[in-house]
Amino acid sequence: MTKLLEWLLGCSLIGMAWGLVTFDLLDLQLPAQYRELAWPMPVYLLVAFGCYSLATVGYRVATFNDCEDAAKELQAQIKEAKAELKKKGLKM
Amino acid sequence: MATGADQAVGFGLVGFSLLLFTYYTLWVIVLPFVDSDHVIHSYFLPREYSVILPGVAALILLLFVGTFIGVVTWKNRKPKKID
Repeated sequence: MTKLLEWLLGCSLIGMAWGLVTFDLLDLQLPAQYRELAWPMPVYLLVAFGCYSLATVGYRVATFNDCEDAAKELQAQIKEAKAELKKKGLKM
Repeated sequence: MATGADQAVGFGLVGFSLLLFTYYTLWVIVLPFVDSDHVIHSYFLPREYSVILPGVAALILLLFVGTFIGVVTWKNRKPKKID
Protein backbone atom coordinates (compact mmCIF):
# COMPACT_ATOMS: atom_id res chain seq x y z
CA MET A 1 0.00 0.00 0.00
CA THR A 2 1.36 3.42 -0.88
CA LYS A 3 2.05 6.07 1.74
CA LEU A 4 -0.77 8.19 0.36
CA LEU A 5 -3.25 5.36 0.80
CA GLU A 6 -1.94 4.73 4.30
CA TRP A 7 -2.43 8.37 5.28
CA LEU A 8 -5.86 8.55 3.68
CA LEU A 9 -6.92 5.37 5.45
CA GLY A 10 -5.66 6.61 8.80
CA CYS A 11 -7.27 10.02 8.36
CA SER A 12 -10.62 8.59 7.30
CA LEU A 13 -10.66 6.16 10.24
CA ILE A 14 -9.99 9.00 12.66
CA GLY A 15 -12.51 11.16 10.83
CA MET A 16 -15.17 8.48 11.13
CA ALA A 17 -14.48 8.02 14.82
CA TRP A 18 -14.80 11.79 15.30
CA GLY A 19 -18.04 11.91 13.29
CA LEU A 20 -19.52 9.05 15.28
CA VAL A 21 -18.82 10.79 18.57
CA THR A 22 -19.79 14.30 17.48
CA PHE A 23 -23.06 13.46 15.78
CA ASP A 24 -23.88 10.52 18.05
CA LEU A 25 -24.57 8.24 15.09
CA LEU A 26 -24.39 5.06 17.16
CA ASP A 27 -26.50 6.41 20.01
CA LEU A 28 -23.64 5.77 22.40
CA GLN A 29 -24.96 8.44 24.78
CA LEU A 30 -21.53 9.49 25.99
CA PRO A 31 -21.37 11.91 28.93
CA ALA A 32 -21.94 15.52 27.87
CA GLN A 33 -18.38 16.65 28.64
CA TYR A 34 -16.83 14.13 26.24
CA ARG A 35 -19.12 15.23 23.45
CA GLU A 36 -18.26 18.86 24.24
CA LEU A 37 -14.59 17.88 24.05
CA ALA A 38 -14.92 16.00 20.77
CA TRP A 39 -16.55 18.42 18.37
CA PRO A 40 -13.81 21.10 18.17
CA MET A 41 -11.12 18.42 17.76
CA PRO A 42 -10.28 18.94 14.06
CA VAL A 43 -9.84 22.68 14.56
CA TYR A 44 -7.91 22.09 17.78
CA LEU A 45 -5.47 19.73 16.07
CA LEU A 46 -4.94 22.26 13.27
CA VAL A 47 -4.27 25.07 15.75
CA ALA A 48 -1.93 22.85 17.76
CA PHE A 49 -0.01 21.91 14.62
CA GLY A 50 0.17 25.59 13.64
CA CYS A 51 1.56 26.51 17.06
CA TYR A 52 4.14 23.74 16.83
CA SER A 53 5.22 24.92 13.37
CA LEU A 54 5.50 28.53 14.53
CA ALA A 55 7.52 27.53 17.59
CA THR A 56 9.87 25.37 15.51
CA VAL A 57 10.48 28.15 13.00
CA GLY A 58 11.02 30.69 15.77
CA TYR A 59 13.40 28.46 17.69
CA ARG A 60 15.48 27.71 14.60
CA VAL A 61 15.64 31.40 13.71
CA ALA A 62 16.89 32.15 17.22
CA THR A 63 19.50 29.39 17.32
CA PHE A 64 20.88 29.59 13.78
CA ASN A 65 24.54 30.48 14.02
CA ASP A 66 25.65 33.80 12.59
CA CYS A 67 28.18 33.35 9.79
CA GLU A 68 30.07 36.64 9.62
CA ASP A 69 32.35 35.65 6.73
CA ALA A 70 29.60 34.17 4.62
CA ALA A 71 27.46 37.26 5.21
CA LYS A 72 30.22 39.61 4.07
CA GLU A 73 30.94 37.45 1.04
CA LEU A 74 27.27 37.40 0.12
CA GLN A 75 26.94 41.17 0.41
CA ALA A 76 29.97 41.60 -1.86
CA GLN A 77 28.51 39.20 -4.41
CA ILE A 78 25.17 41.04 -4.35
CA LYS A 79 26.92 44.35 -5.06
CA GLU A 80 28.88 42.77 -7.88
CA ALA A 81 25.79 41.24 -9.43
CA LYS A 82 23.83 44.50 -9.20
CA ALA A 83 26.63 46.43 -10.90
CA GLU A 84 26.90 43.90 -13.71
CA LEU A 85 23.15 43.77 -14.32
CA LYS A 86 22.89 47.56 -14.30
CA LYS A 87 25.62 47.68 -16.90
CA LYS A 88 23.58 45.31 -19.05
CA GLY A 89 20.55 47.53 -18.75
CA LEU A 90 18.33 45.89 -16.12
CA LYS A 91 16.41 48.41 -14.03
CA MET A 92 16.37 47.72 -10.30
CA MET B 1 23.68 31.23 18.23
CA ALA B 2 22.08 34.05 16.31
CA THR B 3 22.27 37.49 17.88
CA GLY B 4 20.20 40.57 18.56
CA ALA B 5 17.05 40.95 16.54
CA ASP B 6 17.13 37.36 15.26
CA GLN B 7 17.15 35.98 18.77
CA ALA B 8 14.44 38.39 19.93
CA VAL B 9 12.13 37.56 17.03
CA GLY B 10 12.80 33.84 17.29
CA PHE B 11 12.19 33.51 20.99
CA GLY B 12 9.27 35.92 20.70
CA LEU B 13 7.65 33.53 18.24
CA VAL B 14 8.32 30.59 20.57
CA GLY B 15 6.78 32.43 23.53
CA PHE B 16 3.78 33.58 21.55
CA SER B 17 3.01 30.11 20.24
CA LEU B 18 3.39 28.61 23.73
CA LEU B 19 0.94 31.16 25.13
CA LEU B 20 -1.51 30.58 22.32
CA PHE B 21 -1.24 26.80 22.67
CA THR B 22 -1.77 26.91 26.44
CA TYR B 23 -4.78 29.23 26.26
CA TYR B 24 -6.38 27.26 23.45
CA THR B 25 -5.74 23.90 25.14
CA LEU B 26 -7.31 25.17 28.38
CA TRP B 27 -10.28 26.46 26.42
CA VAL B 28 -10.96 23.34 24.32
CA ILE B 29 -9.76 20.47 26.53
CA VAL B 30 -9.82 21.54 30.19
CA LEU B 31 -12.90 23.76 30.44
CA PRO B 32 -15.56 21.09 29.69
CA PHE B 33 -14.45 19.25 32.83
CA VAL B 34 -14.59 22.29 35.08
CA ASP B 35 -17.78 23.15 37.05
CA SER B 36 -19.83 25.75 35.22
CA ASP B 37 -19.81 28.09 38.22
CA HIS B 38 -16.01 28.18 38.55
CA VAL B 39 -14.47 31.64 38.10
CA ILE B 40 -12.12 30.46 35.33
CA HIS B 41 -14.99 30.42 32.82
CA SER B 42 -15.10 34.21 32.91
CA TYR B 43 -11.71 34.32 31.15
CA PHE B 44 -12.96 32.42 28.11
CA LEU B 45 -15.52 33.16 25.44
CA PRO B 46 -18.41 30.75 24.76
CA ARG B 47 -17.20 27.48 23.26
CA GLU B 48 -18.48 28.17 19.76
CA TYR B 49 -15.86 30.88 19.39
CA SER B 50 -13.09 28.31 19.82
CA VAL B 51 -13.99 27.07 16.34
CA ILE B 52 -15.24 30.33 14.78
CA LEU B 53 -12.16 32.43 15.63
CA PRO B 54 -9.57 30.09 14.05
CA GLY B 55 -11.87 29.75 11.03
CA VAL B 56 -12.06 33.51 10.61
CA ALA B 57 -8.29 33.81 11.09
CA ALA B 58 -7.70 31.20 8.38
CA LEU B 59 -10.01 33.08 6.01
CA ILE B 60 -8.20 36.36 6.67
CA LEU B 61 -4.86 34.65 6.05
CA LEU B 62 -6.12 33.28 2.73
CA LEU B 63 -7.37 36.77 1.87
CA PHE B 64 -3.94 38.27 2.51
CA VAL B 65 -2.14 35.60 0.51
CA GLY B 66 -4.56 35.92 -2.39
CA THR B 67 -4.37 39.72 -2.38
CA PHE B 68 -0.59 39.61 -2.31
CA ILE B 69 -0.46 37.23 -5.27
CA GLY B 70 -2.97 39.36 -7.13
CA VAL B 71 -1.06 42.58 -6.54
CA VAL B 72 2.28 41.09 -7.57
CA THR B 73 0.76 39.51 -10.69
CA TRP B 74 -0.88 42.80 -11.61
CA LYS B 75 2.34 44.75 -11.16
CA ASN B 76 4.26 42.33 -13.37
CA ARG B 77 1.84 42.24 -16.26
CA LYS B 78 3.66 43.09 -19.47
CA PRO B 79 2.02 44.86 -22.44
CA LYS B 80 1.75 42.68 -25.52
CA LYS B 81 4.51 43.24 -28.08
CA ILE B 82 3.45 44.85 -31.32
CA ASP B 83 5.13 42.94 -34.14
